Amino acid sequence: MGNQQSNISGGQGGDGKDDKSKKKDRPKYEPPPQPTTRIGRRKRRAAGPNAAAKLPTIYPTSRCKLRYLRMQRIHDHLLLEEEYVENQERIRKAKAQANPPPPGAGDLDTLDRNADERSRVDDMRGSPMGVGNLEEMIDDDHAIVSSATGPEYYVSIMSFVDKDLLEPGASILLHHKSVSVVGVLTDDTDPLVSVMKLDKAPTESYADIGGLESQIQEVREAVELPLLHPELYEEMGIKPPKGVILYGGPGTGKTLLAKAVANQTSATFLRIVGSELIQKYLGDGPRLVRQIFQVAAEHSPSIVFIDEIDAIGTKRYESTSGGEREVQRTMLELLNQLDGFDDRGDVKVIMATNKIESLDPALIRPGRIDRKILFENPDQNTKKKIFSLHTSKMSLSSDVDLDEFINQKDELSGADIKAICSEAGLMALRERRMRVQMDDFRAARERVMKTKSESEPQGLYL
Amino acid sequence: MAKETERPTAADKGKGKVDDVRELNGERKSTKDEKNAVNGKKDGKKEEPKEEDLSEEDQQLKSELEMLVERLKELDTSLHRPALDAIKTYIKTSTSSMTAVPKPLKFLRPHYDELTVLYDNWLVGPDKDSLADMLSVLGMTYGDEEKLETLKYRLLTKSDELGSWGHEYIRHLALEIGQEYQNRLTEEKDVQDLIDLSLSLVPYFLSHNAEADAVDLLSELEMIECIPRFLDENTYSRVCLYMVSMVNLLTYPEDQQFLRTVHDIYVRYNKLSQAIVIAIRLNDIGLIRSDFNATKDKALKKQMAFLVARQQIWLDLSSEDEDQDLADCLNNTQIPIHFKALAKELNILDPKMPEDIYKTHLESSRGAAGLTNVDSARHNLASAFVNSFANAGFGNDKMMLVEGDKGPWVWKTKDDGMMSTAASLGMLLHRDVEEGLDKIDRFTYAQENQIRAGALLAIGILNSGVRLDSDPALALLGDPENLESKDIPMRVASIMGLGLSYAGTNKDELLEILLPIVEDVSLDMQLSAMAAVSLGLIFVGSSNHQVSEAIANTLMDEERQKQLKDKWTRFMALGLALLYFGRQEEVDVILDILKAVDHPMAKPTSVLASVCAWAGTGTVLKLQELLHICNDYIEEKEETKGDELVQSYAVLGLSLIAMGEDVGQEMILRQFGHLMHYGAGNIRKAVPLAMGLISSSNPQMNVYDTLSRYSHDTDNDVAINAIFAMGLLGAGTNNARLAKLLRQLASYYHRDQNSLFMVRIAQGLLHMGKGTLSVNPFHTDRQVLSRVAAAGLLTVLVSMIDARQFILAEHHYLLYFLITAMHPRFLVTLDENLQPLTVNVRVGQAVDVVGQAGRPKTITGWQTQSTPVLLSYGERAELEDEKYIPLSSILEGLVILRKNPDWEGSA
Repeated sequence: MGNQQSNISGGQGGDGKDDKSKKKDRPKYEPPPQPTTRIGRRKRRAAGPNAAAKLPTIYPTSRCKLRYLRMQRIHDHLLLEEEYVENQERIRKAKAQANPPPPGAGDLDTLDRNADERSRVDDMRGSPMGVGNLEEMIDDDHAIVSSATGPEYYVSIMSFVDKDLLEPGASILLHHKSVSVVGVLTDDTDPLVSVMKLDKAPTESYADIGGLESQIQEVREAVELPLLHPELYEEMGIKPPKGVILYGGPGTGKTLLAKAVANQTSATFLRIVGSELIQKYLGDGPRLVRQIFQVAAEHSPSIVFIDEIDAIGTKRYESTSGGEREVQRTMLELLNQLDGFDDRGDVKVIMATNKIESLDPALIRPGRIDRKILFENPDQNTKKKIFSLHTSKMSLSSDVDLDEFINQKDELSGADIKAICSEAGLMALRERRMRVQMDDFRAARERVMKTKSESEPQGLYL
Repeated sequence: MAKETERPTAADKGKGKVDDVRELNGERKSTKDEKNAVNGKKDGKKEEPKEEDLSEEDQQLKSELEMLVERLKELDTSLHRPALDAIKTYIKTSTSSMTAVPKPLKFLRPHYDELTVLYDNWLVGPDKDSLADMLSVLGMTYGDEEKLETLKYRLLTKSDELGSWGHEYIRHLALEIGQEYQNRLTEEKDVQDLIDLSLSLVPYFLSHNAEADAVDLLSELEMIECIPRFLDENTYSRVCLYMVSMVNLLTYPEDQQFLRTVHDIYVRYNKLSQAIVIAIRLNDIGLIRSDFNATKDKALKKQMAFLVARQQIWLDLSSEDEDQDLADCLNNTQIPIHFKALAKELNILDPKMPEDIYKTHLESSRGAAGLTNVDSARHNLASAFVNSFANAGFGNDKMMLVEGDKGPWVWKTKDDGMMSTAASLGMLLHRDVEEGLDKIDRFTYAQENQIRAGALLAIGILNSGVRLDSDPALALLGDPENLESKDIPMRVASIMGLGLSYAGTNKDELLEILLPIVEDVSLDMQLSAMAAVSLGLIFVGSSNHQVSEAIANTLMDEERQKQLKDKWTRFMALGLALLYFGRQEEVDVILDILKAVDHPMAKPTSVLASVCAWAGTGTVLKLQELLHICNDYIEEKEETKGDELVQSYAVLGLSLIAMGEDVGQEMILRQFGHLMHYGAGNIRKAVPLAMGLISSSNPQMNVYDTLSRYSHDTDNDVAINAIFAMGLLGAGTNNARLAKLLRQLASYYHRDQNSLFMVRIAQGLLHMGKGTLSVNPFHTDRQVLSRVAAAGLLTVLVSMIDARQFILAEHHYLLYFLITAMHPRFLVTLDENLQPLTVNVRVGQAVDVVGQAGRPKTITGWQTQSTPVLLSYGERAELEDEKYIPLSSILEGLVILRKNPDWEGSA
């Protein structure tokens, strides 16, 4: 437009009288700064890598030709886009080759200039840079920031900062002296959360679980199936369950099942232990919960597994201790994330506890946790399966008859059985035998049962 | 199903691994250890626990099934039947979770190959059929995907109790039928057996709430027209809904077939008002007429008349039912009354001044002193436009229709401005013909030719979208004194007025009047081109060959060659294109002719014609062609002017074609981003316009955000078009955020005459009819594309491509082509005597309920209001209670209600 030049001088002047006298030799008009409509607003983070490139959602979700046709339409359009962009890039290159830059100058020059400019920007940034938080955008060039040390500053934003990335709450780089904004740190989730993301699948699969058929089925129906085949629920006209809680005595395979789910699923699997959510500083726990679910939503479909939920999920009560109140607040945040105002989308939650009766009723109400899956101590048949699972890789002597243990009326959990097996193996090892004999098993059982009753002094209190 | 078959195998693999390990161990030991015998025994023992992985019942089931299979293998044929029946019962009665394959099927798996061999060896007989029946089911889980075994064995058996095998089986079968049909088509084999089988499947689908599957199957087999005979009272509505929503995505012959089938179904179930909407969509006058005459019900007939009138199709009534009321319904003459009633209800009768809309006190007041050098005539002209848009159809304002000392605004403008200002009268009095003519009358006697021309145009605008038996527009505008006046503006105004007032009528009388103007080579291009556009509007989408020949001849005429560089030639091309609006393949004739001609305008014309022909279809192939056009890089030279237009038209065409189909509409917006990024000036100019077109009167946040960015573009043409597009986007919505953006633009551009003019126009558009109108060419639940409306919009946009030569120069009256698209977005309920009736309705965001289970709500987030109400884009209304039955299924525009005889109100 050619009028941009006047902007700089006119912008600062602003004095009415001055304006009038100089009007004659000025260009036609002085545009005020562009309205700040797009930057500095908190953007709702959509799922996926790029929210702007979001594709339209397809209805209906049930399997039918209409859905196929609509998907195909999107596909066609994407192909068109690809074709167009490719062609344009080709033309651009061809054009660049057709009129090569003036001899001598060439690429080296531009490279030089780029490097030069880069180093100048680096100079301006200075070093070291402070890390702070963007509190509020004032206008295009100014913002209020806070740093970890406490005070808030009203600072200017350097022109080379990508303003599209700025949003309240973002982590930003600050100049060490002038505290002006010199850069944006894009990934603002706590490193703690990324640790929770499971990179390597655990080795346990469903085949390694003895028994628990009905539990496996329930978990799969509630967690895996909605992620794989949402249309089945749609066809039926119901909302898939949001989460399940696994409960039952110690050693009954709750965590094992969760591991198997993680092994089997292709969804993002986040695992947390309840106690991890208890943090040193006020507000850190709830923030962690928020971030976990944010990460889960970003990487959806995903499964969040919270082990030992009773660490934070106990019933609320009057408490004077600040620490306890903080724990309760963490749980309140969890409540909100599970069934709050924002729709979480494709995030399923699995919780595990062995004290379901101590949990807050709000936490396990339907809508937050739709299925409560009980894990019981194994029955005869299951015991047999568990025994055969654990002994399948041991070298057993021929006299071993596991039925003896299976038929005994001991209250054995899956973990106890495993303990018996490995204890028996240890016994055999002590005597430098290559095979585990029946006697080893008997002794092992004795030991396990003894330690078990010792650790649980039954009837001592009450 | 495929997924489900995979999963158990994965699980099996896990087990298999354990087995392998075990065997390995066994082997190693056997070589190391001496106690071979013991080992052997142990291994034997180990086999047992493996078997015992299965529970007792499973084990039993397995052995039972194995026994049955063995029995089948025996030669004793008498045992075969019970064995088969037993297996079948096992399969049918097995219930399991949906995550796993039913157990009997799992256990039969190892025997599948044996059984197929067995089948080949058996003698023909009922047993063989029965076996085939079973194999067909087994084939679903184990068969090779490619071999389509389910279908193969199904065709070999005669059993017809398919339903007993369950839904999943039937679906699988349908899938294979589709594949096999395609295979056979390529191999040119007989498909009769497939068709018979499918026809037996359809009733099953329909009775099990899977109408989507039924339609899919039949459409795969290209025999959708068979569906009506399987339908009943309960299923037809869902089937129709599903089919209608598929239409947009189908290719040419098939979509027509679908629509016709749906139409037949509606007629059969006596849903005439729905049927006529489909007929309108098909643009089949014969069908519309037959629907119209299919009932004797007066009220229903009136309702249909409203629907037909909304599309501006002018039906001539047969003489027998000469009914004034009905004619009124057909002629749209009722609309101003209802519109004013709505205004009264909403308390917006008071006229608005441009100042009320600009709200300059909210603009940042920088450089208020700078207003001194404003071209006040230009400013006043903008005000005249804004005034006419804002008060459109209300019939009163404070600027033009005033009596007494202040005098009408027209004197505050000069030259060509007077014409547009006078013409704004037509907009103000829109559709109110009787009163309007009175008020315009005095301007027709003015001294200034410009004002007289404006008055003529006003008459044309006034009559747009209504029809009177007396044909005042034809009488006044067709008067040789006006039409053949010496004064060019007067002639242009008359021609344009005729085009506007008879848009979509296909009136032959106009042919006689306007054709000579097109054909007369001695005339100025402007006149001929305007006549061509008017003819295009009048015969929009009729592919009238007389007109097309005339225009084509004119374009090719030797004597015209020198004029072809004229800027008006594009309207000649547009006129030709409009004739083929929505005609799809019929346009190829004219395209072939144009291809043969070596002519600077041939290419733009053919692009325009093809985009018009495919408007609103969403056809991807056409979009691709257009993008290819945009791909070419054009050197900047004088003679390529035509090619630049080609690209600009192609961009407009992208949105015109993608319009009306939600998915494409969203996707094309992404494409515009790329065009903006890579395109040259001519493409960039057109992109904002295209964005405005595709979501006219539908202010979506992402669109106006983008446009507001473009409105600061360094290329002033792009910026101006973006501003106009923002106005179009919000036309008639009063959208507050757009208003704010426009105000900011007004202060940003307060010294740039052209941009400021456009900002004012955009503000006027935004407040069109004080927020009660819409220019979106889709109506009746966004199903039907109004050709007239789209044609009007396109005309304006074509002139906006070179805004500096038309709208921003002295031809701003071209903006009045918008009138064809302007329609109140109201819902007015009437009783059977066409008297307004106040009922409570729920108004809310429309929800796509196609293919959803049960009876989902069609609207969400509703509010209860009493009629008349305004409906925004994408909103739907439904009656609050069942006291009345609406005669039209879609509550939009004018709807007649009938008392529900079964209503037992608590009142």
